[in-house]
Amino acid sequence: MNLSLALKLLWRDWRSGELNLLLASLIIAVATVTTITLFVDRLQQALTQESSTFLAADRVIEYDRPIDIEFSIKAQEFGLKEAETMSFLSMVFSDDRAQFASVKAVSDSYPLRGDLIISDQAFERGEVIKRGPEAGELWLESRLLPSLNLISGEFLDVGIASIKVTKALIKEPDRGGGFNSTGPRVMMNMKDVEATDVVQPGSRISYRYLFAGDRDAIGKFEAWVKPRLPKGSRIFGVKEGAEAIGSALEKAERFLLLGALLGVILAGVAIALSAQRYSLRHYDHVAILKTLGARPADIDGLFFTIFFVMGIGATLIGSALGFLSQLGIVVILDAYLPIHLPPAGIEPVLLGLVTGFVCLFSFALPPLIKLRGTEPVRVIRRDIEEGGVNALIAYAFGVVGMFGLMWWYSHDLKLTFMIFGGGIVAILSLSVVALILLRSGGILGMQAGSVWRLALSGLQRRGKENTMQILVFGLAIMLLLILFLIRTALIDDWQSQIPEKAPNHFAINISPEDVAPIRKLLVDNHVSAQPIFPMIRGRVAEINKLDDSQASQTKNEEQAPPSENSRNLTYAIDLPEDNKIIDGQWWEPDYKGEVLVSVEQEFALFNSISVKDELIFEIQGRKLKAKVSSIRAVNWDNMQPNFYMILSPGALIDFPSTYMTSFFLPTDQKIFLNELLRSYPTMTVIEVDAVIKQIKAIISQVTLAIELVLILIMVSGALVLLASIQASMDERFKQHAILRTLGASQKLVMGSLIIEFCALGLFAGVLATVGAELTVFGLKEEIFNLPYSVNFELWFMGPALGMVLIGVLGTFATKSVVNTPPLVVLRNVD
Amino acid sequence: MDEEQRASIRGEFVGFVFQTFQLLGSLTALENVMLPGELKKDVAVEEKAKALLDKVGLGHRMNHYPKQLSGGEQQRVAIARAFASSSEILFADEPTGNLDTKTGANIIDLLFKLNLEFGSTLVLVTHDERLAARCDRSIHISSGMLGENNDQLSESNVRSIG
Repeated sequence: MNLSLALKLLWRDWRSGELNLLLASLIIAVATVTTITLFVDRLQQALTQESSTFLAADRVIEYDRPIDIEFSIKAQEFGLKEAETMSFLSMVFSDDRAQFASVKAVSDSYPLRGDLIISDQAFERGEVIKRGPEAGELWLESRLLPSLNLISGEFLDVGIASIKVTKALIKEPDRGGGFNSTGPRVMMNMKDVEATDVVQPGSRISYRYLFAGDRDAIGKFEAWVKPRLPKGSRIFGVKEGAEAIGSALEKAERFLLLGALLGVILAGVAIALSAQRYSLRHYDHVAILKTLGARPADIDGLFFTIFFVMGIGATLIGSALGFLSQLGIVVILDAYLPIHLPPAGIEPVLLGLVTGFVCLFSFALPPLIKLRGTEPVRVIRRDIEEGGVNALIAYAFGVVGMFGLMWWYSHDLKLTFMIFGGGIVAILSLSVVALILLRSGGILGMQAGSVWRLALSGLQRRGKENTMQILVFGLAIMLLLILFLIRTALIDDWQSQIPEKAPNHFAINISPEDVAPIRKLLVDNHVSAQPIFPMIRGRVAEINKLDDSQASQTKNEEQAPPSENSRNLTYAIDLPEDNKIIDGQWWEPDYKGEVLVSVEQEFALFNSISVKDELIFEIQGRKLKAKVSSIRAVNWDNMQPNFYMILSPGALIDFPSTYMTSFFLPTDQKIFLNELLRSYPTMTVIEVDAVIKQIKAIISQVTLAIELVLILIMVSGALVLLASIQASMDERFKQHAILRTLGASQKLVMGSLIIEFCALGLFAGVLATVGAELTVFGLKEEIFNLPYSVNFELWFMGPALGMVLIGVLGTFATKSVVNTPPLVVLRNVD
Repeated sequence: MDEEQRASIRGEFVGFVFQTFQLLGSLTALENVMLPGELKKDVAVEEKAKALLDKVGLGHRMNHYPKQLSGGEQQRVAIARAFASSSEILFADEPTGNLDTKTGANIIDLLFKLNLEFGSTLVLVTHDERLAARCDRSIHISSGMLGENNDQLSESNVRSIG
């Protein structure tokens, strides 16, 4: 096809403003997507990095003996940074006191991510430092200094070595929660370990190998490592390493993805609308060209060229704008963002470019294909319907394009299917409802005054167009509502995960005779504490399946004992608050009889334990038989004492047991710990307050990120609404010009416009509410694992939002309808 | 014949002049006249178009857009465009319908003059019996009935005018 003719037409269209709307939506689409993906990419990187400080690394390999040197060689090949830590429990001695401590020796490059806080005196704010102790230095957790009667500068014996205490350790990045880090921390340099002589054959030492580097290298390294790990070792990142943060991050990532997906849909709708309008305005062109001998192939070539050239221009401009606006956002937010954003990668820009073209061709193609079918006779018969091409085929492009883009964005087929399927079902059913609403609007209008009658009969007269418009409005509002609802639910979920006064200290190793006095001490000091649980270490030695064939099979394969590690066991009357029975039954409060056990879900799955199986526990050299009565889901994120195995009341009464509890202590009351520990030196307190604080900080950053993305999507949603209103402008201009020439007052025209848009908005709001409620239900259940409940305020908010939003935007956008003299309008429209 | 073949025939043999001119609003007078040639990928399209515009007396307004031209001028551009495709047959649908009497007469003069000059066949649809009378042959369509007798038509002519 004639390229110069195409370019000339494009140029003329551009000059005359014909292309403005289509170009604008395309540029906005590309710019929005680029902005969001760039921003999300940087945020994701930053958040992962930030939360990596939780591990002091990006990936950690953990093992109970040193790992092979080949891992380290490979890490160097990938250009990763490395560090090593060793942790063990040991008694430490000052001149006159002794204390059981959790010793951690670190290499010089520790920490790879995050930093430590140290100070000269115990319990001070301290200063940030990016390294661990040097050789010949010991850093002690604040609490140890008074309890060992030490000040910095004095010496402490670890094993057979005597090392100088130089600082109080206020915070370390990878302190971790749970029971792995029992006892107060003593941190030393790796080089001093040999001198202590604590590393003996058979001593229990946990080795950690820390790795950090750029995302790609880390990913490749992990893939290389996984199949080569020795049995009993594991590699983990922050997602697996710190459950609370990991699940928050994962949900946040999903949310950001969802945001980008909805952004693409909104952009696509805007493009489809403006391409529709562009085509409508070019049917006559095509008819004339056809009378001059242009063949359908010529028409295709002509408009394909026009769209292609336009696509290149718009995507380039859009990506540039997106890049700039993302920079702008970062600059503006820098002061408020608690984290530093790493530079953006190139991939999001490519994503924007490809999105531009896919959007243009899949959304603009249907109206374009219709152009080729225009009958030349349309030149003299304007009423001839355009297009003989099967609309289904044409719209298939849009559907396939949309689906492809969504999949590509999310890398998540399930999420894509859900949004996509939900969207299609919603559109089909909602268009029926929209038509019915319009009908009823028309009937109501009949009984109303003239402004109302004009507005509502107008709604009904252009029934098909208005149904379309309500759908578009409804879709846009629905997407915004969905995003808003999910965001609110996520944030609520995170905040409730760690409530304001969640226990931030665990006390373990409480001897039976101390239980009552400690309870009293806690009450006297107004410390809010959880119930005191008995705690006994034991391991599952044997699993006798209900089904004999399976049991014998297990034996034939000569598998190792089901669980090598011993676990903390407890017994309880009541089911712990956060736990949920997923199979079997919890026992009655007054249960007496054979020993029952309730097993944690994942442990049960891993060891293929089911209800009614029999477990043989080995506890302090003795055996105990227990029947599995239930399987429990445990919320490991909640930083509460959780147990894999809970036995029925009194089951362990014959075994010497210690007790544990947890309590909340604000920072300024931490000195109470010393009183507690002085009175009961045998007990151990695990402080997780720093960890909880860190989790809260990260969650508040994720929350902010989510709010930002929500705002971005809202802006592009508003643009879709504008594009949709613009698309109906010609028709409205004409109608109101005719009314004006017939002598209708400005007030009447304006009034009917306002009412028309408010009604459209109200209907759209109702549809959006229904659609949002359904989609949110699916998303919460399937994707975000959040509890679902009906949002009553939504049923008021949705319609009201639709009415106000569309009313204001519509009136604002069509104000010129009223102000333009009818003569000008009629001349231009024809 | 499919749409493709019909289009080729239109491009090769047929030209159109419409009551409502049907110029492309986004192109100048010159570009409108160049269109048929460009679609056929002719050579020297611009020169031919300029010559035609000169012939219809618009040599001085070549770079104006249709909106900037009067009705008569627009129709002259349309006539120039119709002849630009060097068609053998020219269909004119009420070419003077949207013009005042004087301008309409000028347009018809121009149409007949160019038709003679290019040796094409002009098929003209009109309600104007005086215009019809200038044609070599007239076919009368009344409420779907077809008649072809010049004399009869002349009589009916008198009746309808009277």
